Amino acid sequence: MKDRSDRSALAAVRFDSGDRPESLRNLTGATKYLDDLPEAANLLHAAVVPSPSGHGRRLRVDASKARELDPSVLVLLADSIPGENQMGTAVDDEPLLAEGEWHYAGQPVALVLASSKRLARAAAALVRVTGEELPVVTDPREAFAKGQLILKPRVQSSGDLAAAFRTEEQGGAARWIVEGRAESGGQEHVYLETQGAIAEPVDGGLRLISGTQAPSGVQKAVARVLGIPMRELEVEAMRLGGAFGGKEDQAAPWAALAALGAWVTGRPVKLVLSRRDDLRMTGKRHPYSTDFRLALDAEGKFLGLELDFYQNAGAACDLSPAIIARSLYHAAGAYRIPAVRAAGYMCRTNLPPFTAFRGFGAPQAIWAMEAAVSKAAEATGIPALELQRRNLLREGDLTHYGMKMEDCRAGRAFELLLSRNPAARLKAEIDDFNAAHGDRKRGSWVIPLAFGVSFTKLMMNQGGALVHVFNDGSVSVSTGAVEMGQGVGRKVLVVAARTLGVPENLVRIERTRTATVANTMPTAASTGSDINGAAALAACEEIRKRLLAFAATVLGAPEDELSLGNGLVLRGGRDAGLAWKDLVAKAHEARVDLSAHGFYATPGLFYDMKAERGSPFAYHVYGAALVVAELDTLRGSSRIVRADLVHDGGVPIDALVDRGQIEGAFAQGLGWAILEDLVYGKDGKLLSDTLSTYKLPDMKFMDFPIDIELLDDAANAKAVLGSKAVGEPPFQYGIAGYFAVLEALKAARPGAGGFFDLPLTQEKALRFLDGGN
Amino acid sequence: MLKSLRFRLNGKLVEIEGREEQPVLDWLRDDTGLTGTREGCREGDCGACLALLGRRNLEGTGIEWVPAATCLLALGELDGRALITVEGLAVEGPTPVMRALHVENASQCGFCSPGVAVALSHFLLAEGPRDEAAAVASVEGNLCRCTGYASISRAARALSSDFSGLPLDFPTRLAALAARGVFPPALAATMQDLPEPASADPGGSPPLGSSPPIGGGTDWYVRNTDPAPGLSPRFVGRDPELRFIETRGSGDGATLALGAGVTVADFFASEAVRAAAPGIERFEALVASPHIRARATLAGNIANASPVADLTAMLLALDARLVLSGASGARELALADFFLGYKKTALDGDGIIETILLPAAPRAFSFEKAARRERLDIAAVNTALSLAVDSGGAMRGVIVSAGGVGPVPLLLRKAAAALEGRKPSAHAFREAMEAARAEVAPISDVRGSAEFRKRVLGRLLAAHALRLFPGGFSVEELLA
Repeated sequence: MKDRSDRSALAAVRFDSGDRPESLRNLTGATKYLDDLPEAANLLHAAVVPSPSGHGRRLRVDASKARELDPSVLVLLADSIPGENQMGTAVDDEPLLAEGEWHYAGQPVALVLASSKRLARAAAALVRVTGEELPVVTDPREAFAKGQLILKPRVQSSGDLAAAFRTEEQGGAARWIVEGRAESGGQEHVYLETQGAIAEPVDGGLRLISGTQAPSGVQKAVARVLGIPMRELEVEAMRLGGAFGGKEDQAAPWAALAALGAWVTGRPVKLVLSRRDDLRMTGKRHPYSTDFRLALDAEGKFLGLELDFYQNAGAACDLSPAIIARSLYHAAGAYRIPAVRAAGYMCRTNLPPFTAFRGFGAPQAIWAMEAAVSKAAEATGIPALELQRRNLLREGDLTHYGMKMEDCRAGRAFELLLSRNPAARLKAEIDDFNAAHGDRKRGSWVIPLAFGVSFTKLMMNQGGALVHVFNDGSVSVSTGAVEMGQGVGRKVLVVAARTLGVPENLVRIERTRTATVANTMPTAASTGSDINGAAALAACEEIRKRLLAFAATVLGAPEDELSLGNGLVLRGGRDAGLAWKDLVAKAHEARVDLSAHGFYATPGLFYDMKAERGSPFAYHVYGAALVVAELDTLRGSSRIVRADLVHDGGVPIDALVDRGQIEGAFAQGLGWAILEDLVYGKDGKLLSDTLSTYKLPDMKFMDFPIDIELLDDAANAKAVLGSKAVGEPPFQYGIAGYFAVLEALKAARPGAGGFFDLPLTQEKALRFLDGGN
Repeated sequence: MLKSLRFRLNGKLVEIEGREEQPVLDWLRDDTGLTGTREGCREGDCGACLALLGRRNLEGTGIEWVPAATCLLALGELDGRALITVEGLAVEGPTPVMRALHVENASQCGFCSPGVAVALSHFLLAEGPRDEAAAVASVEGNLCRCTGYASISRAARALSSDFSGLPLDFPTRLAALAARGVFPPALAATMQDLPEPASADPGGSPPLGSSPPIGGGTDWYVRNTDPAPGLSPRFVGRDPELRFIETRGSGDGATLALGAGVTVADFFASEAVRAAAPGIERFEALVASPHIRARATLAGNIANASPVADLTAMLLALDARLVLSGASGARELALADFFLGYKKTALDGDGIIETILLPAAPRAFSFEKAARRERLDIAAVNTALSLAVDSGGAMRGVIVSAGGVGPVPLLLRKAAAALEGRKPSAHAFREAMEAARAEVAPISDVRGSAEFRKRVLGRLLAAHALRLFPGGFSVEELLA
């Protein structure tokens, strides 16, 4: 992959435009998302009534005005829930509908059902919710001070911290100790398709179509709410219009509400959130406030690191424990640090429960670590690049949680990036520009990456697949993977086609259904293709084995000389005179089972929660990114000038898909770092509650050259077909954008120290330029 | 309210009794099953609901096609017009635009993809530059959360080079695009004329009690996402009698008159406007997005009375006057006197801004805007400045406007006075900046704190100075 402006780069990528019919369906408008499906004549539309403020008790709901609007309007409260009024999975702290107390503004209080979406929403707006106001806490440190923790703090430590921070004067090796605070804001997912679900009574149970990354999770949550066995519920996920983690756990309430409506009325119910409701009712990326402390020796080697993460968890547990875990694992970024103490505090506030979002706690940690590097460069006078290079993770290093780094490519990626952008040339590029311009200043930053792949919750690293070969030779593959644009379907398809040796156009990837592949894990943590691809591989291998054994009898050839490829049975790699379709037809005649279930549990993972030691990741994804930013010193606005990414993608199953993931994740990371400003008022109400107030990257924001080079010779033994997970790791490259702008600001105000308050908005930049921060 | 409507949808004549106030998006999705047009935000910010709207052009000489956010487009607006959705474009399969996006893998989740395809199809159809920058700019009104835009940008650039030789005149260009399948030939054959409207009064119903005047609807529908059935808006923006730009009088006293139906795009494209405020077109991209500019009206921008309305800030600095119609008859007043308080205006009852008047004599002009995002964002603060320089080199007739620093769009009279009659100098502008900061009392909101607004206002005035007098002084001198 080369410069984006170099269209000949396409030639380097193996690509047949006939490969992806789903992309053409998308572009012609033919793809159906759940709100595009035809509606049954008796379908009811649902709308949700939110809590009136950030915190309160003695909740009272008066629906008389809504019923006056139209007597057919139904308003359901918590007391109509037949099972448990509970959505929490790790902790039972999240009612589906608030009862008595409410804990954040936008918390669902009532479900309104009506014959049209218009009527449902109009009626919901007329439901009066009142109660007694209670104090609202929005700041995680305030919550911490009040002892409002969701679970007890989690601490990882390694090495002799006291020794690491012993200064030279004290007889230690620490020449410099830098410390500070790194604030990072939340981030709204802005999946273009809002949350939604359709529930339909079928044969005594319910069939749900849910916009979820976790169909089995929805199935379990709804079964609990309705008080019925999981078998009575089938959950299907169609293609999602984006998700990014926002539909991992937080798709379930909307599915449960639709299911509740259908259960109570016996009619199909559809609930699709308006953008505004989606923005104010759902959780986003956790805001963090982090204290950092880093000790360096005279050579700039990192001796010790302390990070205290005050995670703003919102009003309920949701996925916060798993997210704080990933923060802790990534506390040291891509650096080797002999002594580390990383502590995570899940602080309960009166904001919506914050949740999974691409990176899942790692960005907040990597951001804080990089702030420490920035501050260390100021203190030591050693360029940040040099500090980074001297402290990069190396082969065989032990992380602070005891994992041995194997096949470590942090150095390779970093050096390749620097060979593309030699430090001296980069410095001259910036310095020359700055010397020549008074009204504009440039800054650059390089960020190294080591991102652990696997769910941080060990049991979740499993997946299943069901493969049918039909007797005409065509193939159907079902897995637990949900397609949301990340290309997991495409990757599973390639795995199946290659394993069965058939053309890709013979294979179909099915929608994700709980009755087809059961007990699946969310499609999340970048593991979708690793786990589901491997499960599909296992199923296809099983079928291949049966077919080759059968082919051996048909051809009278030794089985170990036979293989499948190019739609043929091959013997010694050459056409054995039996085509795939004929083989399948004959095997069917001979009563060979043409279906198989495959299962995969990521091997080699273990973790001792008590000792906080283990090997929680199958492998790491490495990389390095350079971002160059330009500041308008008069207006305080900034833009990105160019970016260069070196990424360890293993051997991509589909290079175009991976390029899209890298570019898309990078844009989201940059948006988080310098643009997207999630603003809550002191009363806990979301102020940036529309897309006219919450601004995410647009075409112009991203209109700069991005070079991407994949590490070559990068096969990964730990994942399917030598590939590596790609969804989340490149998000972290965007963090470099913050520091690139900060460097430009420092060039405009020589001598001033940096500040660490992400996102770096124009307002903060101007305050700095005017002498503040 | 229910009304007879006649229009073309994807080339086919449609005659219905339709709810004129209903957003076209809902009608498409719920009543016709055309679900490729999607709801992403319902406020014109995402472009997932884009369709192409065929309407009479400004000159009244033919038809023009513009991209339209159908969440902000009333069904009643379609009477006597034509609409093309993604399904109409793709009726014979993926078009070259779709294939270009496909080849780059520019559709990931796919939810926004039809809107992107519509915007790029419009880029090929529209007048104007065909270079890569224009191609990329044509999708500035489309949000995509998956791709990071790089693949969309590659596809847009590829299209601009693949279609670089397109003929300039509309019928020949359309024929060329039809020949290459960008518009299916059967559809293209319907794209050069419009059906007769079913309603005799193309401007909408006579004013009733609940008859809000709507210009383009691009603000009104953001605030009224799902208007009640029975509402009968007056569609000012589609009245051909009200869409004109003409010069009245001659010499120094000549005036530009812009009708209530003049769109933001019309305004920036107008030679007369460009002559009155040289260089004003460079600020067009800072205002809204291509599809909003194609439909938003100047009069609507003013009547909406947002304190940060970009066009209002520009028009204030251009010394605009308004002709209002209403129950008490027509009257004329200065634009600055139109705003009585936050969202309160001098309009009465069902009155409208009929005409906007501007002095036609050229004045140096500058516009500045501070917003979170450079494109398609509402300003935290905006400001415009216009002036003339007399033979002695002194600044004359200085007008400074600012939005986002008070409850209404303001004239900064003290800042202007600090410059009036003086030769341009860093000193004079520093005094103007000081005066400006002193005469505003902004509030803090989601777009920025009061402190930020004051801080940035001064700097934006400095930016005016640097733009209007290049080389005259440095950033450092202005900020000293």
